[in-house]
Amino acid sequence: MIGSKILLVDDEEIFADNMAKLLQGRQYKVTAVYNGESAIKALENENFDVVVLDLKMPGMNGIATLKEIKNMGLFTETLLLTGHGSVDAAVEAIRMGAYDFLNKPCEIDDLVEKIEGAWRKKDDAWKKDLEEKLKRVVESPSDAFKLFD
Amino acid sequence: MDQNLETKNKTYYSRLFRRFVFFTTICSIVPLLLAGWAINMHYSGFARERILKTLQTRVDYHKKIIELFLKENKTRLDFIARTNSIEFLIKEGNLTHILNNINRDSWVLTDIGIIDENGDHAAYVGPYDLINKNYSNTFWFREVMEKEIYISDMFMGFRKEPHFIMAVTKNENCRRWILRATVNTDVFRSLVENVRIGRTGDVYILNSKGIYQTSPGSSGEILTRAPGFKGEIHDDLKFRFLETHDRDLKIKKIVCETWLKDPRWLLVVRVGEKEFFEDIRHANRATLVSLHLSALIILIVTSFVTNHMVQVIKKRDSELEGMNNQLIQAGKLASIGELSAGVAHEINNPLAIIMTEHQLLLDAEKRIPITDQDLGEQFAGSLSQIGTQVRRCAKITKNLMKFARRTRSFIETVNINIFLREVIDLMEREAKSDGIAFKSVLDETLPPILTDPSQLQQVFLNFINNAIDAHEEKGFGTITISTCPARDKTGISIIVEDTGSGIKDPDIEKIFDPFFTTKAPGRGTGLGLSICYNIVKQLGGQIQVESHLGKGTRFTLTFPFKPPEDLMNNGQDK
Repeated sequence: MIGSKILLVDDEEIFADNMAKLLQGRQYKVTAVYNGESAIKALENENFDVVVLDLKMPGMNGIATLKEIKNMGLFTETLLLTGHGSVDAAVEAIRMGAYDFLNKPCEIDDLVEKIEGAWRKKDDAWKKDLEEKLKRVVESPSDAFKLFD
Repeated sequence: MDQNLETKNKTYYSRLFRRFVFFTTICSIVPLLLAGWAINMHYSGFARERILKTLQTRVDYHKKIIELFLKENKTRLDFIARTNSIEFLIKEGNLTHILNNINRDSWVLTDIGIIDENGDHAAYVGPYDLINKNYSNTFWFREVMEKEIYISDMFMGFRKEPHFIMAVTKNENCRRWILRATVNTDVFRSLVENVRIGRTGDVYILNSKGIYQTSPGSSGEILTRAPGFKGEIHDDLKFRFLETHDRDLKIKKIVCETWLKDPRWLLVVRVGEKEFFEDIRHANRATLVSLHLSALIILIVTSFVTNHMVQVIKKRDSELEGMNNQLIQAGKLASIGELSAGVAHEINNPLAIIMTEHQLLLDAEKRIPITDQDLGEQFAGSLSQIGTQVRRCAKITKNLMKFARRTRSFIETVNINIFLREVIDLMEREAKSDGIAFKSVLDETLPPILTDPSQLQQVFLNFINNAIDAHEEKGFGTITISTCPARDKTGISIIVEDTGSGIKDPDIEKIFDPFFTTKAPGRGTGLGLSICYNIVKQLGGQIQVESHLGKGTRFTLTFPFKPPEDLMNNGQDK
């Protein structure tokens, strides 16, 4: 979706910057950070539709960051970038609620396709949530402020 | 298998066989033969001694009989001379009466006579006309006059035939007279000679000068001199072994000699050694035959047992060798796997960056097209080549990591025949255009097995792909896929056989090594079979290869009904 906000997390700075440029070229709004801690900070300050997360990072790794993101309860989907050797970890991540994973090095088109999928899922979830909230507002308008706080 | 190695192994096992047989034979047959021979020798010696002892006893007994005979007759004459006067004896009829009495039981004495001191025959009873003969010049007359009792040697005398006499002298009223008797030669000879000692035994008597006193059988005449006579007088019984020649035949004889006391005659008993020791020889022969027969049986049994043992060792060795090869292969793969996974992972990051850079350039070119046509073409060509090569590298690292990783297996019940049909269907389309026919010989009675179908699919796609590639030179051929129960009945076997170009002998040991490929550069990574090998091992299976250059290759994959326990647990996790 044009204009979707993407947070790119990868310790390989050149890769992160290049990816950001490529995605920006495809009309996404991309922020690139280079570790898990910065990613959490960015998510606290700003809403992102999709987080593209590298699995292997020094400090907070992909799995730990994902756990934190899930704990934050945000409307955001996470895509994992992995090497071939860590498919098991990727499967583990999907169990924890990641949207999908992609093997590095990857084609930009494949990444875009996955981002789109992730965005749709996030969007569906967001819409569903909104619908439910609206339903409840219709049922008890007094709760409206609480719900949309 | 290497030809040289096979010949080397063959000589090794035949040497092993020979060594086994040699030592077993040495350790069993030699002691057996030695003990057998020793016992046999001992027994033979013992038996010989016993037989000679028996012979000695018989000869001794015979000697005593002869001595007794002579003594009896001597005593008889002495008694007659002592109890009767010469007057009485020369009186007509008295001597005849005495001779008749003596000869009443057997005709022991041929004749009897009285000789006076002048040597004249005073009285004579006997078949010869000897009355009035004068004996004063005979050798025995002189001897008898000196001794009181006398037994002569055999001599011819007046009667011109061999005989011997006994004589006793008596002094009566200052007169000296002789009672003389001739022992019946026939009776004496039969007494001496008719004793049969063995079938070929000769018994005869020699006097102290070595003259035959009785007929010595075939070896001489009575009253002739015995050849080689030494005349040593001894009291005991002596054995001597004699070799004689009868025509060209060598005959060995045992000679047993003993001296009579009075007269000093030598009793000789001669028996054929062969006949005498025949029993021993017979026993010897039987013992030796059975001994050698036993040795032969031992040798045959040893050879048989050793051959069996060597075959068992050979089988064990080849099993061990196979196991060792598999272990080496597994170890090699593990270490190479770890190394290559590390390298691949490190290379992946720069590759990812190159890929993004490549994409950035592509994006940039789309946004701002290059106006110079030559530069544009060059740029586009180079970019495309960079893309191709990066993807090629990515494929290599992907395969390397796949090779090294231990992914979780998804264990399911798989009907191998249905599974293989699907795989064949998939590949057949590709192969048909290459002129390759598929043939499946599937054993429909096979039970389903527990395994990971997706990994198995990867394995078979790889094998079939290789089989198709093997026909590249020929351009046509057949790929046969068959299933059957495993030889040890603990699983199933799947055989992928092609009619392709085959694998060269030195290459066959390397086909499962990572990066080993005979395909052109860029066509294969050399990881396919290596990955397959890993997967098959992981699923508890085995791979066997047989290949004939120019004729084709046969891969036999064996899988157990159930994969290893750790894999089962892993699968259940899911």
